[in-house]
Amino acid sequence: MTDEIDLSRLPPPEPYDQARDKAQRKRLMDAWREPPGWKIISAVNNSHIGKWYLLTSFAFFTFAGILALMMRAQLAVPGNDLLSQQLYNQLFTLHGTAMMFLFAVPIFEAVAILILPEILGARDLPFPRLSAFGFWCFVIGGIFVSGSIFFGVAPDGGWFMYTPLSSDPAYSGLGTDIWLLGLSFIEVSSIAAAVELIVGVLKSRPPGMRLNLMPLYCWYVLVVAGMILFAFPPLIAGDLLLEMERAFGWAFFDPDRGGDPLLWQHLFWIFGHPEVYIIFLPSIALIATMLPTFAGRPMVGHSWIVLSAVGVAFLSFGLWVHHMFTTGLPEISLSFFSAASEAVAVPTGIQIFCFIATMLVSKVRPSVPMLFAGGALAIFVFGGLTGVMVALVPFDWQAHDSYFVVAHLHYTLIGGMLFPLFAGIYYWYPFVTQKTFNARAGRWSFWLMFGGFNVAFLPMHWTGIMGMPRRVWTYDLSDGWAVLNMVSTIGAFIFAAGFAVLALNVLWPRGKAPLVERNLWNAGTMEWAAEVPDKPWGVRSIPYIHTRYPLWEQDGLIGEIDRGEWFLPDAEEGKRELIVTDILDARPLFVQRVGGPSFLTLGSAFCLGAVFILATFHLWTITLIFGAGFVGFTLWWLWTGTSLIPERPEKYAGRGLTLPTYAQGNRSPGWWAVFITMTGDMTAFMGLVFSYFFYWTALPDFLPSAAHLPGFGWLLLGLALLIGAWAMTTASRETLGHGRRRLSMALLIGALPVGALGIGAWGWSAYAKGLDPTVQSFDAMVWMLILWMGLHLLLNWVMHLYVAARVKFGHCTPEYRADLMNLTLFSHFLALTAVTIFALLALFPLMMGVGP
Amino acid sequence: MRHGSDEQPRHFTAPGDAPRVIDQGSVWILVAAPSIWAAHFLLSYWLAAIWCAKSGPMASLVEPRWIIVALGLISAALITWLGWIAVRRYGGVFVIFEEITESSERGRDRFIGHVALLLCVLSVVAIGFTVIPGLVFATC
Repeated sequence: MTDEIDLSRLPPPEPYDQARDKAQRKRLMDAWREPPGWKIISAVNNSHIGKWYLLTSFAFFTFAGILALMMRAQLAVPGNDLLSQQLYNQLFTLHGTAMMFLFAVPIFEAVAILILPEILGARDLPFPRLSAFGFWCFVIGGIFVSGSIFFGVAPDGGWFMYTPLSSDPAYSGLGTDIWLLGLSFIEVSSIAAAVELIVGVLKSRPPGMRLNLMPLYCWYVLVVAGMILFAFPPLIAGDLLLEMERAFGWAFFDPDRGGDPLLWQHLFWIFGHPEVYIIFLPSIALIATMLPTFAGRPMVGHSWIVLSAVGVAFLSFGLWVHHMFTTGLPEISLSFFSAASEAVAVPTGIQIFCFIATMLVSKVRPSVPMLFAGGALAIFVFGGLTGVMVALVPFDWQAHDSYFVVAHLHYTLIGGMLFPLFAGIYYWYPFVTQKTFNARAGRWSFWLMFGGFNVAFLPMHWTGIMGMPRRVWTYDLSDGWAVLNMVSTIGAFIFAAGFAVLALNVLWPRGKAPLVERNLWNAGTMEWAAEVPDKPWGVRSIPYIHTRYPLWEQDGLIGEIDRGEWFLPDAEEGKRELIVTDILDARPLFVQRVGGPSFLTLGSAFCLGAVFILATFHLWTITLIFGAGFVGFTLWWLWTGTSLIPERPEKYAGRGLTLPTYAQGNRSPGWWAVFITMTGDMTAFMGLVFSYFFYWTALPDFLPSAAHLPGFGWLLLGLALLIGAWAMTTASRETLGHGRRRLSMALLIGALPVGALGIGAWGWSAYAKGLDPTVQSFDAMVWMLILWMGLHLLLNWVMHLYVAARVKFGHCTPEYRADLMNLTLFSHFLALTAVTIFALLALFPLMMGVGP
Repeated sequence: MRHGSDEQPRHFTAPGDAPRVIDQGSVWILVAAPSIWAAHFLLSYWLAAIWCAKSGPMASLVEPRWIIVALGLISAALITWLGWIAVRRYGGVFVIFEEITESSERGRDRFIGHVALLLCVLSVVAIGFTVIPGLVFATC
């Protein structure tokens, strides 16, 4: 047992005083008020960013849906020439790409940013400006990728962009570059959101909300954000390799130069399969959150759902090769993945059974959200069953690349992701807008979509079995697919009509309609404690939580929150404040100040967007200028908004609790954010390591003779220097802690040339042996690893200079040195990367007997 | 045990002692069992892939078969040990209608123990799934 403060025995609140309440509310309002007029675009509050994120994602959904309708119109009759083949290729590529990257993943982030802080009883997420940055990156990248179709240069290689079609510029034009760079940019924003959400769940829970009391939604968010962290980076690594081949001719996927196109499929699907669960789990989380409300009782098997979320998260990483069953891998390899694909049905099934059990042991109130939830389960179970079918290798060989797969994936995604999401839209609509939707139109939208969906996609199972391949732009009458295709097309338009009804229902202006009553569904989770009309501060005072469903099980909680009887009821200093708690038991650790509205994040996102867009057109000079702009804006943002030394070391948080106003190291959210980001970075690096070993496994003569290996001595010297630079960084943290500011700054700046010499030695080791990345895959891999290290070192240098300046100007002091602690953590990861690269380049060839 | 990253400004620290994630061994057990599954899965896959790549398309799988089975047994044993820890140290129980909603450190421990135990069972089942193909296939 630890020395725990007992939150249940806090002193009683001060007696209610109306004047004090009013003054506190005014001060809170001043701190949390959003900028007026057009300046609203600088808002960073989760309620604004979440709403914008949601609407933007739905805009891309509508766009991608229209592309789908165009495809269905083309396929309605045989021999149709409504659309050209070229346009059709662009349509299906952009439809898949936009649905996956611009809708399914961002919508998870949108919903989480919107409701997670409220479910946690927090005022905001720990990094509101990061959310805003991620959102604007998403908008810019999304418009860039989608807009390409209006110029006829949309990507047309399928949403998984297989090599060598996509790696050879002769077969694939600008569209592929747009796809690669645009999506890499959006992946950055996804990872930013993942970092934000993980830290949010771990560190921003209300005091007392221990892990066993945490709502299921938070478990799902934690699990899914963790999955993003391990699934997206391999694709970023893959994007990097593919773009290097396309832009500079490096040999990664070209078999003539020792490359292998299958590598792309591995990297893509190591991302791509977990991705399916990344979009499925958060939607199922919405059902898990609303079901207890309508059942009027806690979820049956709460812990079993946690088990299934964590279990699915792990197992889903063992499925990627089931997208590659027909690539000629050894059958034993296929069967491992087939087995894992079957195994993942176990935890997936467990959560469905928990839902059914909860409904069985209670009397479920009928409502529009439950209608969608029920439809979701029906469709998803059907799609899950065809999933078990295609997980079997022999069946998959027959159904591969046919419309059967199209039907399967739409059943799982629309049943597992879209319908639960619509249920959530209806469920939280009153929470967001404080108005009620039209229930009759809600039911209409459900039945139109449910009916339309099945009419559209059920026949595709037969069209697939009858041999219709995916991605064909037309077919012949003699193929015998005409009737089924016509039925599918009609169904697709009925489905679209249902969505139009939903969109109208949600967007209908209800300015004069009466406000809803508070907690109108009688839910048990904290977000429904929000006042009506809504206040920008989220929660009036941050309560102590000791149950799973606080609004059901903690009598009088809403009144206590409203009267400001709990923590941080005031904003005396006019700052936006949150309570940061510990991971296990949510003990209050410190009061964190978060940033308010800012244009800096906008500027930063705009410049980064410009970098990716201009790089697509190989306009390197302006790209560099905007890159400098991005660095400038970001540093400005950090300098003025992070790790600020508080005016007082502690503050009174209410109820006899006094908390520090600053934290560093592993108590601060910033440290955790660095840790989590670098975990993702290491995963991307692991994608490169995987590539190295993949070549070695697949290509007998991947490793060259000793004469063409990078020089061992230079590699060793480089490693020693890089480790030396790392040691200097670590030492500077210690020396600053002992109050020796000058020495600490000297060490920080001195680490720069040491690291430069180190990477220089590595570069020389490869250059001196004449390694040319455009000639051989081994050479390209060596240069890629060195380049990876170099790019990180460059970033590290910027950080060193930044922290040295912070020390110089007194923002980073012996007492308050969060910046330097975070930098040290970054450097630890860098040292690990350096050691791994050395092992790959110097030790592995030696072990294989080709070294000097 | 204290680390450099624990140091806080001297003036004032939070009341009470915040538990550490690793030292008190409270969260790692949740991911340990599925991580063993992942390690077993990847090792089996790499072993078979490298074996088949280096010894030809119709090579015999009899030798790697026993390595896969042995890996499976070792992994299952490790997970059993983890399950034992989950029961003994955390007080994890195997129940369907769990109601571990007690607001205390012990309650949190029991919840984690319970979920860890469930994950142990799932991981052993999933490892079984992976071993089966190893037993069935005679050649690559």
